[in-house]
Amino acid sequence: MAVLTMSFKPTLPLLISAFVSLLVGCNEGNKLSLSERSIIYCSEGSPETFNPQLSTSGTTTDAISKQLYNSLIVYKGKNNTLGPSLAKSWHVTRDGKKITFYLRQDVRFHQTSYFTPTRLLNADDVLFSFNRILDKNHAYHQVSGGQYPFFQSTKFTELIEKIEKINDYTIRFILKRSDSSFVANLATDYAIILSAEYGEKLLNKGTPHKIDILPIGTGPFKFKEYRVGSLIRFYRHDSYWQGQAKIEQLVFDITLSRTSRLTKLLAKECDVSSYPIAHAKIAERTDLILESITSLNVGYFGFNTKKEPFNNKLVRQAISLAINKQAIIDTVYHSKAARAKSILPETSWAYDTNTPEQGYDPVRAKSLLEIAGYAQGFTMDLWAMPVQRAYNPNALTMAKLIQADLKKIGVKVKIVSYEWSTFLRRLSLGEHQSFLLGWNADTPEPDNFFTPMLSCSASETGNNRTFWCNKEFDQLLQEALKTTNMKQRKRYYAQAMAIINEEMPLLPIAHSKRYQARGTDVVGDILSNFGGISFYQAAKINTNNKADDMVNKVSN
Amino acid sequence: MAREKIYLEEVFPSPFMQLWRIFRKTPVAMVGFCCFILLILLAIFAPIISPYSPVDGNLDMILLPPAWHVDGNVSYLLGTDELGRDMLSRLMYGTSLTFGLSFIVVFFSLVIGVVIGSLSALTRGIKSSFLNHFLDVVLSIPSLLLAIIIVAILGPGISNTVWAIAIVFIPQFIHITRYAVKEEFRKDYVLASRLDGASNFRILYYSVFPNIVERLMSQATLAQSAAILDIATLGFLGLGAQIPLPEWGAILANGLERFYIAPWTVYLPGLAILFAVVATNLVGEGIRHALKLRKEN
Amino acid sequence: MLTFTLRRISLFIFTMLVLTLLSFSLSFLFPGDTVINHSGQINATVSELAQLNQAYQMDKSIVNQYGAYLTHILNGDFGQSMASQSPISKEIIELLPATIELSLVALLIAMIVGIPLGFIAAIKHNKTSDHVILSLAMLGYSIPVFWLGLLAILVFSIGLGWLPSAGKISLLFEIEFVTGIQFIDILLSDSPYKWQAFSNASAHIILPACVIALAPATIFIRLSRAAMIEVLAASYIRAARAKGLSFQQIIFRHAIRNALIKIIRHVGLQFANLVTIAMVTEVIFSWPGIGRWLIESIYQRDYTAIQGGLLVLSCFIFIIHILTDFIYAALNPLARGNKYGS
Repeated sequence: MAVLTMSFKPTLPLLISAFVSLLVGCNEGNKLSLSERSIIYCSEGSPETFNPQLSTSGTTTDAISKQLYNSLIVYKGKNNTLGPSLAKSWHVTRDGKKITFYLRQDVRFHQTSYFTPTRLLNADDVLFSFNRILDKNHAYHQVSGGQYPFFQSTKFTELIEKIEKINDYTIRFILKRSDSSFVANLATDYAIILSAEYGEKLLNKGTPHKIDILPIGTGPFKFKEYRVGSLIRFYRHDSYWQGQAKIEQLVFDITLSRTSRLTKLLAKECDVSSYPIAHAKIAERTDLILESITSLNVGYFGFNTKKEPFNNKLVRQAISLAINKQAIIDTVYHSKAARAKSILPETSWAYDTNTPEQGYDPVRAKSLLEIAGYAQGFTMDLWAMPVQRAYNPNALTMAKLIQADLKKIGVKVKIVSYEWSTFLRRLSLGEHQSFLLGWNADTPEPDNFFTPMLSCSASETGNNRTFWCNKEFDQLLQEALKTTNMKQRKRYYAQAMAIINEEMPLLPIAHSKRYQARGTDVVGDILSNFGGISFYQAAKINTNNKADDMVNKVSN
Repeated sequence: MAREKIYLEEVFPSPFMQLWRIFRKTPVAMVGFCCFILLILLAIFAPIISPYSPVDGNLDMILLPPAWHVDGNVSYLLGTDELGRDMLSRLMYGTSLTFGLSFIVVFFSLVIGVVIGSLSALTRGIKSSFLNHFLDVVLSIPSLLLAIIIVAILGPGISNTVWAIAIVFIPQFIHITRYAVKEEFRKDYVLASRLDGASNFRILYYSVFPNIVERLMSQATLAQSAAILDIATLGFLGLGAQIPLPEWGAILANGLERFYIAPWTVYLPGLAILFAVVATNLVGEGIRHALKLRKEN
Repeated sequence: MLTFTLRRISLFIFTMLVLTLLSFSLSFLFPGDTVINHSGQINATVSELAQLNQAYQMDKSIVNQYGAYLTHILNGDFGQSMASQSPISKEIIELLPATIELSLVALLIAMIVGIPLGFIAAIKHNKTSDHVILSLAMLGYSIPVFWLGLLAILVFSIGLGWLPSAGKISLLFEIEFVTGIQFIDILLSDSPYKWQAFSNASAHIILPACVIALAPATIFIRLSRAAMIEVLAASYIRAARAKGLSFQQIIFRHAIRNALIKIIRHVGLQFANLVTIAMVTEVIFSWPGIGRWLIESIYQRDYTAIQGGLLVLSCFIFIIHILTDFIYAALNPLARGNKYGS
């Protein structure tokens, strides 16, 4: 009896572990081929739709825009200049009102189980895609709700007089007035080209809504399946006009929980993870890379220029000089953000490297306060936003740091906070003295940073919470929109930023970054400065082979 | 009644005292019992003895590891969480929520269950059969599932959790009281007092209850260990105690976000739950063991 | 056996009535419009709403309303989810098999580990190994399952990197949905990576199944220990020993079989317990089962889904309960007798 039990006990765990190692073993051995040709991306949310025209949510554009579709033109290179895409070239008339696009003639749409294209991309597809947005009587305009938020906010419909098809591969946009941000808007992730043939086919079948559920585009990947709240599966579009993508399968593993995303990343269950937490943990792993790009946003400290004492330029300057921005970036952003010199991030093409920056100089701040007549200092309110945003991960801590900084020049700060919607409502009513907020740009177009945030018209609608209105500044913005000459525009914006730096309606603090983590075996750019991510360039390498190569190199 | 005093000289301990004497001799059970008492004291006095507030944090002391760690700080013995709240204080307060509430819940269900159970023990026939089937159905559904169902109906929150668990635990006490009372009623001493003309209620109160109290206690410890786990699980799932309440399960769920950089915010509340459940189970085991020994004697 | 069957069937029908009545009344208890809670059509237009009112006979008496509700349920129409706007019956059919699969594997592990350990403890009654097994068992059922799951992920997925931490299969494998039971679906599929998928799915199920199995295994240890001690004390064992059978012969030929019969009834009861533990574990291991779905529905206040999910889950548990009763009765004629009544 004793023998029986004695022999039984050690064998059981042994058996189990043998079983486990067997499974894991054959797992690693055989799956390599499949996993080497595929990438799993842990994304932070589900897309609302499969047509980016209908949405401005970053999660949606990330998931679909650059994977499934192309736009006429794109941003390229380090300086983010406009380059060709579906349109191989384009021409803008001198008055800026007629823009002609010459389309590529070798672009194939996706072939899937639900649609087989019979022709290549042509001007009809472009017409179809934009008329859906512009023409209220278009058969597809009201499909999926009839809301096109990006195009409505940029006044796209008001701007375009009409779109003309010159021939099968030439298309012309005729504008009511010249607007240099127009071309830029066509390069966003929202202005994608749908298939007119597919639209027609669905219309004949009586199921037009499927165009936004079962997408057909020209992008590097084609849609395979979507399980609500769980995954999106893409396969490679083999006849992609720019050449095949390097991976065959792309899976978006929708993982809402930040901890789960990290767990999956650490356990190697996803190759790439969006917005990772615990950066220190990732950094200490040799098989993971943490990468980031400075995205187009700015976190700032704004002053209500309609209220005492901030109606005085000198006070605004003094307060700005007294704030140690670097300390804020180290504490609040954990040194993971770029210090903002002005409201426009350095990654914007319109950014002028000579832009002056308000430095940190408490001594000068003190003397400026004396000149302004506040030698004894004063007491002020500081409204800190209650929620976490990319541009400001912790406004309360930031407010406490500002409080400490201003104490040194004799200014007492009272920190105020409300529930988010109340906060915004009371801000737009102008009840505050100063506030912490930020701006996430919708487009890479520099105007998006200036007009909505600081123009006179924005101060009327309450979106400009500084209520600062400067005619000269507004004039510069208008001029910048009228011309398409990039150098000229850059000069205008540089002047505008100089005015901001002088007038100080707000103190720009940081341009925060967008983070992503990936295994070292994934190579190729995924993040881009503007808009959504793209897996076209991404590929898997065999890390073991790489290690072998290195050994060989060393021995040689 | 006065006669009892005369017989007190001939020491014949009550069943409960007999049990206690046997229980006392089992060291493991006594360790469990001491821990159990400690937890009760903690649950009562947590607000007085905890060094810091469980809700307000010190932003200068964010994510401090426990004191024995190289980066630890002795004034924060078990470290702090992401808002600089002292883990020790939070866990102490958590004792009154997770452990204290489970104790109250079980006591409440016990009283109601005993009342209904003893009343039903005195009925027979269809009503009795119906109750039996009903209890069978209810008892076959796990307590946690029932609690989740009730919380789903009432909505998340600590008070709803407490109600849900209290309701869920009543049937088992009805069941055990019913059986125990029925069994005792068949015994000769009950017949004796019945012949003396005692009413059913009098028999229940003076004759039956003293004999079944330890069985109820044994069931209560089982129920309490389940209650602790249920409250913590619901808290963990976000259906029970809501942030910032320092309920152990909720603390653990809150720490999940920083599982990989501050693991103590996850393993400490887990250990606290384990400790409380083990202590309760040890007491229960001790009682059952003692019951068995008493029967054998 | 006939009376037994009839009794169970009547009990079944009675319980189903109670459960549907409960689920029906939930629509009134939950906030919002009753007919919308029934159907989950939160975006219904006025005319659609009128249609729904017609379908659920909301203008008639409460009995008619219940009748209409019951008809919908019997036709498999649980309404649609308020959150995703897809039919609840479809979601349940996709998710329930995953939970059943996980629970069955866990049950198997719990039995394979728990019952022999219990027997060993019984045979070694009051010796060191008995005490060790019992102490481990107590520790086992005292551990909060969510904590255990987290520790398991930390150790086996991240620390050692042996087993995956989330989901039921790597998302790279595209497996056609047939039965919902992953292993069967893989075998039915014509994927070129069939066997990799199979081993990958096995690797995915081990960790959650073991975590779920721990608590039931400790209960099996206690049950089988008690059953074995009782059997070993029985007179027929003494008789067998008197006949000169060796101890091993007694254990394997007589004791184990008789002890197992005593346990079988509890296997069914444990299954209900197991499904509950599985619900929590599914959340931790991101297992796409009904438990995780139900808990998410509670977060999102998706009342129609809560209603349908609870109804299906409790029916399922009850059916298992009755099935084990039948099996037990078939194996053990003594159990068919009249248990209750005066």
